[in-house]
Amino acid sequence: MTEVSIERLTKTFGTARAVDGISIRIADGEFISLLGPSGCGKTTTLKMIAGFEEASEGAIRFDGKDVVNVPAEKRDIGMVFQNYALFPHMTVDQNLAFGLEMRKIAKPEMRSRIAKVLDMVQLGGYSERFPNQLSGGQQQRVALARALVIEPKILLLDEPLANLDAKLREEMRVFIRDLQRRVGITTVYVTHDQAEAMTMSDRVVVMFGGRIAQIGAPSDIYERPENLEIAQFVGQVNLIKGTIIGAAEAGKRRVASVFGEVAVDSREDYAPGTAVTLSLRPEAIELRPEGQGGAAGKVTARYYSGSIIDYRVALDSGETLHVQTFPNIRIAEGDRVSVHAPADGFWLLGAAK
Amino acid sequence: MKRPVLTLYCLLVYAFLLAPILVVVGASFNAGNFLTFPPQGLSLRWYVTFFHNDVFMRAIRTSLWVAAVATVISGTIGTMAALYYVQHAGRWKETVRVAMLAPLLLPEVLTAIALLFFVYAIGIGTTTMIGMVAGHVLITLPFVFINVSASLESFDPSWDMAARSLGADRLTRFRRIMLPLIKPGVIGGALFAFIISFDTFTISFMLKGIGTSTLPIQLFDYLRTNFTPEAAAVSTVSIVLTLVVVIVSEKVLGLRIHRF
Repeated sequence: MTEVSIERLTKTFGTARAVDGISIRIADGEFISLLGPSGCGKTTTLKMIAGFEEASEGAIRFDGKDVVNVPAEKRDIGMVFQNYALFPHMTVDQNLAFGLEMRKIAKPEMRSRIAKVLDMVQLGGYSERFPNQLSGGQQQRVALARALVIEPKILLLDEPLANLDAKLREEMRVFIRDLQRRVGITTVYVTHDQAEAMTMSDRVVVMFGGRIAQIGAPSDIYERPENLEIAQFVGQVNLIKGTIIGAAEAGKRRVASVFGEVAVDSREDYAPGTAVTLSLRPEAIELRPEGQGGAAGKVTARYYSGSIIDYRVALDSGETLHVQTFPNIRIAEGDRVSVHAPADGFWLLGAAK
Repeated sequence: MKRPVLTLYCLLVYAFLLAPILVVVGASFNAGNFLTFPPQGLSLRWYVTFFHNDVFMRAIRTSLWVAAVATVISGTIGTMAALYYVQHAGRWKETVRVAMLAPLLLPEVLTAIALLFFVYAIGIGTTTMIGMVAGHVLITLPFVFINVSASLESFDPSWDMAARSLGADRLTRFRRIMLPLIKPGVIGGALFAFIISFDTFTISFMLKGIGTSTLPIQLFDYLRTNFTPEAAAVSTVSIVLTLVVVIVSEKVLGLRIHRF
């Protein structure tokens, strides 16, 4: 199995720096997602790891060995493409056999490996089908099987779920994640869908403008974003104005805001009196009927969507909040409410601008 | 038959296209001595005459030989040109396309005269078949080029990348992935090339060696002095030969490619 190390990797197109000196260490068997909006350099990075795109500067090491000058066909990677890229003139079996033939694997072993991997992706009886006789989800699983059957050093996936419908996409997330765990293969996954990156990855690499904005576990990225841009990219966020009062227990600051005085998690230290911006996730907020303390406000809109209800609440202090709750509370549009937010729902984003 | 006017229109178009062929085929079974339609009695005598006519037999062999050689050369060069055009031409793409299609735009007689001067200027002359074959390659090249580049445009580059990631070198990728997937275009182009070469008059007329003759030229020669139904028999055989080439290629080479 393989450890991948990317060092100051850069790709320039003319004067544009598509990827600008990024460094990532990927542990053996780790599932890493490159997450970012289109044009952030995530796909270019993946293509450089695969060898389809030449690196302008920097190194890519597989187990310590620099592969920058190794052509794609010799890098021993398994790749899954957004449009699956199954060979349309070959059956499922022939598609899977292709990589094994290139490796000169003997027939009997080839048979057993194909059977095993088809079993793994639950396509046992489909080996004689042509790609156009399969559904999108099945084609996707064949593409996965074709990449895995060669037992590559690393698995690269380029937005593999983008062409599937929402329900199938959710199923495939879990499917790919479980499969990757079972095989234990080092995996790099490119996506612009934050929920996909969160569910599947051990660590998420958030990229903006060719640079790494933050690397961390999904909970780190979501709960402790480095800046506003990241916070907004990985989910919805309420911004609350606050003032530093002083230090609290380890890593926390006491901050005064419309919700009173709370001890808020923070990465950095700020002098008392500094104006700061707090983030507050919509699902951390609790609404109660009027007169139960907290911040006072009025519900201006209510959107019911089954598993949750979205509220818009105008606080008397002027801020508008976005709130998500379980649909078991009976608060209607126009009701006056008490808004409560627990201390651990806040995160200190930084000094107010 | 929901749209009678449209149906009638289509029938008329078909009649316009096919009637001359039917007349020729009909006239070839004429028992009389003159090329007339409708035929005066039915007979295969003119086919017998044709098949015993050495001059025509030699001409048909020459035509088939030239068409086969020209098709192979044109198919190879045209496919390579299309590959360059689609994958590597970059900002020269439009220039390459115009250059490749130029033989279609020039009047064939000009191409033929230019080639005639050329083969004499470089000392090849018309004593060998080289000049004529080169001419046939030139006028059939655009058809191969158009067909192959059309099928290359629908070739998804990620197929090539997938094959690379699976460990296939350039040659293997061409042989096992690209060629099978662009085969319909290559075969289509080659068929066009064969038929056009088999059928062309002007180029062959200018560039043929003394004493050699292709079927269209021989037919023209024949009609200058004779007006028997043998000419119709020759035409019918050439129509049938063309059809046979199309159908056989389709069956032998083409059938498997239509599965996707």
